[in-house]
Amino acid sequence: MIERLLAPLRNVWENLIERLLFLPPFPESIDSLALFSLLLVVGLLLGEWLHAHFRWPKVIGYVLAGIVFGPSALGWISIEALAQARPIADAALGLLMMEVGRRLDLNWLHRNPELLRSTLADIALSFALIFAFALWLVGLSPAWAAATAAVTMASAPAVVLLTIEESRAQGQVTERIILHTAISSAASFVAFAVVLGIVHAELSEDWLNAVVHPLWVVAGALLVGGLGGWLALVIARALPKQSLAQVFVLVASALLAVGIARMLAVPVFLTLFLMGVLLAARDRRQTLRYTDLPEGHWLLAIVLFVIVGASLPWQEFTWLAGLQALGLLLVRAAAKAAALAWSGGSLPLPKRLLVGVGIQPLSATAVFMAYEIAGLYPEVGRSALALPLFAAAMMELLGPALCRLALSRSGECGAGEKGGIA
Amino acid sequence: MSGKGLENFKDSAPLSLGVELELQLVSRRDFDLTRGATDLLGSLDYDGRFGEIKLEITESMIEISTQAQLTVDGIAADLAGLRDTLRRHGERNNIGICGGGTHPFHHWPERRICPGDRFSGLYQRYGYLAKQFTVFGQHIHVGCTSADEAIWLTQALGVHVPAFIALSASSPFVDGVDSFYQSARLNAVSAFPLSGQCPPLNDWPDFCRHFEFLQGCGIAQGIKDLYWDVRPKPEFGTVEIRVCDTPLSIEQAIALAAFAQSLSRWLLRTRPPLHTERQAHVARYNKFQACRYGLDAEISDPVGLCQQPLRQTLAPLLEAISDDASALGCLHWLNPLKNQLAEGAGDAAWLRERFRQQGNLNDVVREASERLMR
Repeated sequence: MIERLLAPLRNVWENLIERLLFLPPFPESIDSLALFSLLLVVGLLLGEWLHAHFRWPKVIGYVLAGIVFGPSALGWISIEALAQARPIADAALGLLMMEVGRRLDLNWLHRNPELLRSTLADIALSFALIFAFALWLVGLSPAWAAATAAVTMASAPAVVLLTIEESRAQGQVTERIILHTAISSAASFVAFAVVLGIVHAELSEDWLNAVVHPLWVVAGALLVGGLGGWLALVIARALPKQSLAQVFVLVASALLAVGIARMLAVPVFLTLFLMGVLLAARDRRQTLRYTDLPEGHWLLAIVLFVIVGASLPWQEFTWLAGLQALGLLLVRAAAKAAALAWSGGSLPLPKRLLVGVGIQPLSATAVFMAYEIAGLYPEVGRSALALPLFAAAMMELLGPALCRLALSRSGECGAGEKGGIA
Repeated sequence: MSGKGLENFKDSAPLSLGVELELQLVSRRDFDLTRGATDLLGSLDYDGRFGEIKLEITESMIEISTQAQLTVDGIAADLAGLRDTLRRHGERNNIGICGGGTHPFHHWPERRICPGDRFSGLYQRYGYLAKQFTVFGQHIHVGCTSADEAIWLTQALGVHVPAFIALSASSPFVDGVDSFYQSARLNAVSAFPLSGQCPPLNDWPDFCRHFEFLQGCGIAQGIKDLYWDVRPKPEFGTVEIRVCDTPLSIEQAIALAAFAQSLSRWLLRTRPPLHTERQAHVARYNKFQACRYGLDAEISDPVGLCQQPLRQTLAPLLEAISDDASALGCLHWLNPLKNQLAEGAGDAAWLRERFRQQGNLNDVVREASERLMR
């Protein structure tokens, strides 16, 4: 479609090029900066409009912008443009994952056993029920059913962080949503690494890859994440706390880790999550503890969600696939609600259930994980992982609203809600 | 006799004590104030044996209050029990608890008024002042055997307000900057129309007439509307000293309670002349001096018509009340105050020193929180 629109301009340009020697050839692809800007603007416009008119979380608008302008609908964002924008998406996701990793407060689990019970219940029930649903009701093979469970068991760190930021929420429900999200993400990454080996074993019976690939992913992410965190701390120690220079060091170290992870084919989300965890654990002198990411990183996050929206395979949508995805989401919701209700503890049941609602989002990390696994054996992977991708596609639109609902029902949203971009 | 809207004065055991502390609820991630009071109290598994734990006006504060006790050691036991209870529940909810008269860097518009008709009414009445009232004080109740005694003690303790302010000062930072004050908290209280000093009054009937006058003018409906520095509290049968910042440690809070009890006994025993009319003219100035300079304040003497360094008058006062402290069994609790006076190192100085060492206020609050809970 975009080609048809540009055809007259191309003709004029090619006629002029014969007479105007300085003109370059007609650009065949959009410049990366222009693409970044366009993704940002379309995402912002739709997100702000939906938020202003319907009070929807802005993330929904960004994803919708991606869906509408992406390959599934208008096609203005081509598959090539998506590939071109991937480094920006990786950087945005990486920064958000590092932030979630930094917020993983394992000491809180140590001080409060009820939280350990509820997070373990969430992880175990979510994986087991989704696996059973994918295996027996959808009919996937054990390996792909496990892959589906690994990809969809956790909440969406990026959506949760952005929604909390937008709502300026504070309180026990908010804190527990963050903790559950961080821990279930960690568990899903472990499951993801194991599943890589299982998929190799099932599809190629190549035991070398089945053993070494998960090790490569885990060891590589640990090494690169650890290196990034160490570098950030060493340099930041020489700088004043909370200074702008420290912010730059943090961002630069994170981007370095993103770059190295990409070079080594190690998942960015896992690497940066581990970097955040290690950074927080090793920061005994509180060097970077109070240093927040700059507001500018939210710009990257908008582009991330437009790209995620555009990456969703809506063109392959069938009613059966849609129903199966809906079933998966219901099973997943039941698992999380049951885990929170069963685990008991000092937080009243209605608030625990609100935590269960708040951790429903399923988003960028799941989509990226699904594509990582699908990319191993593209001929079968893409169709085998249609289920988690459609589930993520649906929850991409519903998840932010559910998270917002949980925060507002718990009474933890700040007044005004002017800040944030979610 | 009681004014309409005033309860009858309930006589209590002489010089019995009660202490209330308003405490900060901080996030353990960045040590900014956090909204957690309702959740913390909602999850409380506590039988009330050491006193009460209550909501305060915003969600980032709680108030603890001891049982009425005859001795300072009783107050110490209650406060230690309340601190241990709070430590346990704070850890379960990942909420830090901190002393100090102000939070050094919180952003007051982010505060949330606690649920409840009283708090909602205060917010409607005072608007943004209610949120800015997220400051943290120690209130000390001293039991009186009669209403007239309570009015006399209210006036007598009023003269010593600068000493209480200077000894408890722990709020040098406001909005992330050094205010240059030792106690900046009281500036937030001063904005309220019924704050300040108790006017010169002779006895309980005189107080009732004054209160009826305020009621008639539509200014006050109950005793809680009077935000005086020292006020009678008829339903408890006490005089309430309200000017202290919440100290950074439980031990300092106990020492201040010992000072209040010993001083009250000394005042009631020696009955010095009060010169209330004259004191009324210099009270605000003296209070400002104590807030701004702490123990280095220059206090105006409206009788001798001169100024005297607070440090010079406080040392002999602490000596003078030592016999009363011995009789009450709390002399050892005055030692921290004597050391503070000798070394000039109060809580405000400690906060400034930690800021100088750390270079940021987040770490200062982290260390202050650890100090309260140890």
